[in-house]
Amino acid sequence: MPNKNGSVYGLTVLSPIIDDEAAVPSHDLQIREYLAELPTGEESPFALAPGTHLARLVVMDDVIYVGAPSCEEHLHSKYLVFESNCDGELDHYLAGLAANVPQHLDAIWGHCVGYPGASNPQAFIDYMKACQIETTFYFAAINDKSVPQTLAALQTQRAVADFIASHQGMEPAQLQREFTEFMAVLKTAPLPRAGGMAPRRDIKTGGRNE
Amino acid sequence: MSNINGKVYAMNVITPMKPWKTWVLRGLFFLLWNIKPLQKDLINLSFIEFARWVVLPRGRFPFLGHGQVKEELKYDYLLFFSNFNGTWNQYIDAFSAVLSRGLNMIWRWSEKFPGSVPVTPFKEYIARVQFDTDYYFTAYPYATANDLKSAHIVQSALDGLNQRAQVCSPEQFAEAYLKFVIQVQAHLGETGEAPVVS
Repeated sequence: MPNKNGSVYGLTVLSPIIDDEAAVPSHDLQIREYLAELPTGEESPFALAPGTHLARLVVMDDVIYVGAPSCEEHLHSKYLVFESNCDGELDHYLAGLAANVPQHLDAIWGHCVGYPGASNPQAFIDYMKACQIETTFYFAAINDKSVPQTLAALQTQRAVADFIASHQGMEPAQLQREFTEFMAVLKTAPLPRAGGMAPRRDIKTGGRNE
Repeated sequence: MSNINGKVYAMNVITPMKPWKTWVLRGLFFLLWNIKPLQKDLINLSFIEFARWVVLPRGRFPFLGHGQVKEELKYDYLLFFSNFNGTWNQYIDAFSAVLSRGLNMIWRWSEKFPGSVPVTPFKEYIARVQFDTDYYFTAYPYATANDLKSAHIVQSALDGLNQRAQVCSPEQFAEAYLKFVIQVQAHLGETGEAPVVS
């Protein structure tokens, strides 16, 4: 069943967190503290390494009891859940993480059972695969575009809107000439960084959306 | 805790299922995956960027040794991860209104699932089985799923116009340009921060 939808890969990893009563603070709390300080924008490890559309990290403390008459049960371990929607093949994606942000991987997964470290990419890939859970059903609204293609398209969308607004009623020859120049500039423009694409509009926001 | 990054909300849900029921659910997902028209309602909910359901059998929680205690569980578990635009309430309301039959088909195998209609007990159930996200990244925080679809439409149309621009006369180009503007005019909405929702 599908971990992939088109060219997008849905990675689900559950890594058991070390249960050590002597650790203060506990390993799950150390993960949470690190994640709370980790940048989410252009400096995010998932922006610095290639290929991540969206990703999340979640400490799952336990399963949830939904009430009688179901049985109450508990996990022996806490788990770090890594859910990623990424480009291409899994090995390549994981190798990219290990190559680009090993310090972050070690700081996060270093609190998990059996984590070998990211300095040996193959050992890291094997570890993640050992903790991988097969996705049963995977939906992707857009399943045939990579992260760079999407970032480029968003940049194009903005630029085209500006071009159209500033070229209304222009003579055909001049329009064609300026369009050609516009395309040349657009093609050489640096790709926006993942996690960025900051807004230009000055709208008020409270930053809360629940 | 950060369930939100820009315009995207990360939802995590886990529900227990009796093990024999997971095979029924796997069968239903198999049909949903292979009969694409069944996905129509899900696709029409155009505020979902990515979503997945993961059936986690009770014996398949990762076990790595190194002193880890093996799990001993009675239930299998259904994990649901969604990345959607808008608010939690809007999302659950839309799910309940548009996808109620499909949702019932998926979650009726979970313990104590009340049904997706009426929406109040459904919301109470989701709130109970949801757990929060500790870290959330998106490569394009200020774009919604519809923004992304529009951007790709604009890109594709622009590439086509650019090819024509190389070979046609100014008058022909002006005509093609006009058609291009008409084609993309509904897809030029600018991305930006989400509005405040109270």
